[in-house]
Amino acid sequence: MSILKVEKVTKRFGGLVAVDDVTMEIRQGEILGLIGPNGAGKTTLTNVISGLHTVSEGRIVFDGTDITFLPTHKRCHLGIARTFQIARPLKNLTVAENVMVGGLFGNGEKLKDSRKSAIKLCETIGLAKPNEALDKITVLDIKKIEIARAMATKPKLLFLDEVMSGLNMDETREMIDTVRKIRDTGVTICIIEHVMSVIREITERVIVLDRGAIIAEGPYSEVSQQHNVITAYLGEDA
Amino acid sequence: MKITKSLIILLVLIAAALLPILTEAYFISVAITILTFMTLAISWDMMLRTGQLSFGTAGFFGLGGYTGIIAVADFGVDPVMGIVLGGLLAGGVSLLLGMAILRLRGLYFAITTMALASVFMVIIRNLRKLTGGPSGKIVYTTLFNYDSTKVYWLMLGIAVGTIVISELFQRSRIHFAIDAIRADETVAKSHGVNIYKYLIFVFVVTSIIQGVIGSTYALQYGFVYPESSFSAHYLLLPIAMALVGGIYSTIGPVLGAVILGLSSEYLKLIMPYGHLIIYGVIIVVVVLFMPNGVYGALKDLFGIRKRRLEER
Repeated sequence: MSILKVEKVTKRFGGLVAVDDVTMEIRQGEILGLIGPNGAGKTTLTNVISGLHTVSEGRIVFDGTDITFLPTHKRCHLGIARTFQIARPLKNLTVAENVMVGGLFGNGEKLKDSRKSAIKLCETIGLAKPNEALDKITVLDIKKIEIARAMATKPKLLFLDEVMSGLNMDETREMIDTVRKIRDTGVTICIIEHVMSVIREITERVIVLDRGAIIAEGPYSEVSQQHNVITAYLGEDA
Repeated sequence: MKITKSLIILLVLIAAALLPILTEAYFISVAITILTFMTLAISWDMMLRTGQLSFGTAGFFGLGGYTGIIAVADFGVDPVMGIVLGGLLAGGVSLLLGMAILRLRGLYFAITTMALASVFMVIIRNLRKLTGGPSGKIVYTTLFNYDSTKVYWLMLGIAVGTIVISELFQRSRIHFAIDAIRADETVAKSHGVNIYKYLIFVFVVTSIIQGVIGSTYALQYGFVYPESSFSAHYLLLPIAMALVGGIYSTIGPVLGAVILGLSSEYLKLIMPYGHLIIYGVIIVVVVLFMPNGVYGALKDLFGIRKRRLEER
């Protein structure tokens, strides 16, 4: 069963086609990897699905609802959450307050409840100091805030945009466990990643984008052997 | 700590309420002016907390004033009712305008709101029959018949009401919505914040406050005049007060209004000519050396002391 259907979606910025006639689906409960070289359109596709960009052509159906023209905050209410490639913590709020924003507005929680659930989420995800101001915490913690804040909206589908980049091996290990834990709670995950060892380890299926179009789809072990995927990453003579 | 805090608030309130009984007319009129600008400063800061720099303060202030005077002069409404109407009209106009201009951001929003006051003024100057045109409008039934003690209490009530609304905003979910919007709109909407709804709500509430204080101010003298009712005075002074006191808080604008209000009166007394230069210097010095305002500086001071105590 698919939770998200993207049908013939194209996104143009002036003359540049960033997403080119993409048709794909994300299945309920899977961990899907979205990979491709720099500038392939992975983040743009995520933006189109979460509503930050409007589509130029095509249709997006989420959980049976046509969301093609819904504003971003309503898509969040329906259950689409995301993190940002370059982490965007709300610097004027504390760690727990960042997470509360997700619960308050994404999940419609009351102020008191959201504080409780935010602190609980911080605990599960491994944020030790929920009341700390943001200028005193590590990169790993900032990435965790991104995930906790997205999780606080109680999503059905979560996009993780390069959450592993910039982490050392131990931190990556920890992050992989976290992602698995989230999936085990019933959240479907679409992960965008450049760290291929991570993709190999946790995804059941990957979609490869190049220059805005899908060039391959399937389990990582198969896709990574395909000639056109290797060419896309390494060039013609590789 | 909590008890001391409530005790201080209670004492300040009692002192403020008893002021007209303890002092003479001059101080009451100074206090009324300070309360007027305090209310404007808080309302300006409330909008600033959403990240939107509004220069529309004077516009809604003047609009409220004109509404109050016209309601009393032409429709025979009681002045107190006129104040309510002033607030309602400012709120209605801000709702309609806000739906259009709150799609703008940053400087574009700031400049558009700045134009509002001028546009209101031009319209009012040309609606001669209703507004008296360039020569202004007078009404003979003023607020409480020039009883400045009662006017003071009403002003105090409005200022305290504004403080309460501002604090309610700071302690409810609205606080998290507007803080998220100010920090990063993309993150806010991706996490379910309906940005447009919150911006319009805050814009309308602050405009109602500005309309109410504008009509109160106009009705105490029973007089409006385009150039003075929409004067940039009612825009720039509140901003200066909020900056001096400390933005993004309720206490900041309150402190700023008291500090600048009292110092401007005192300076006027000791040097009738040129007191504005000193006044300007005070603002520049405070903004330069206390970028977070007086309240911010105090908070840092006590924060450092607290931390030192913890280290021991």
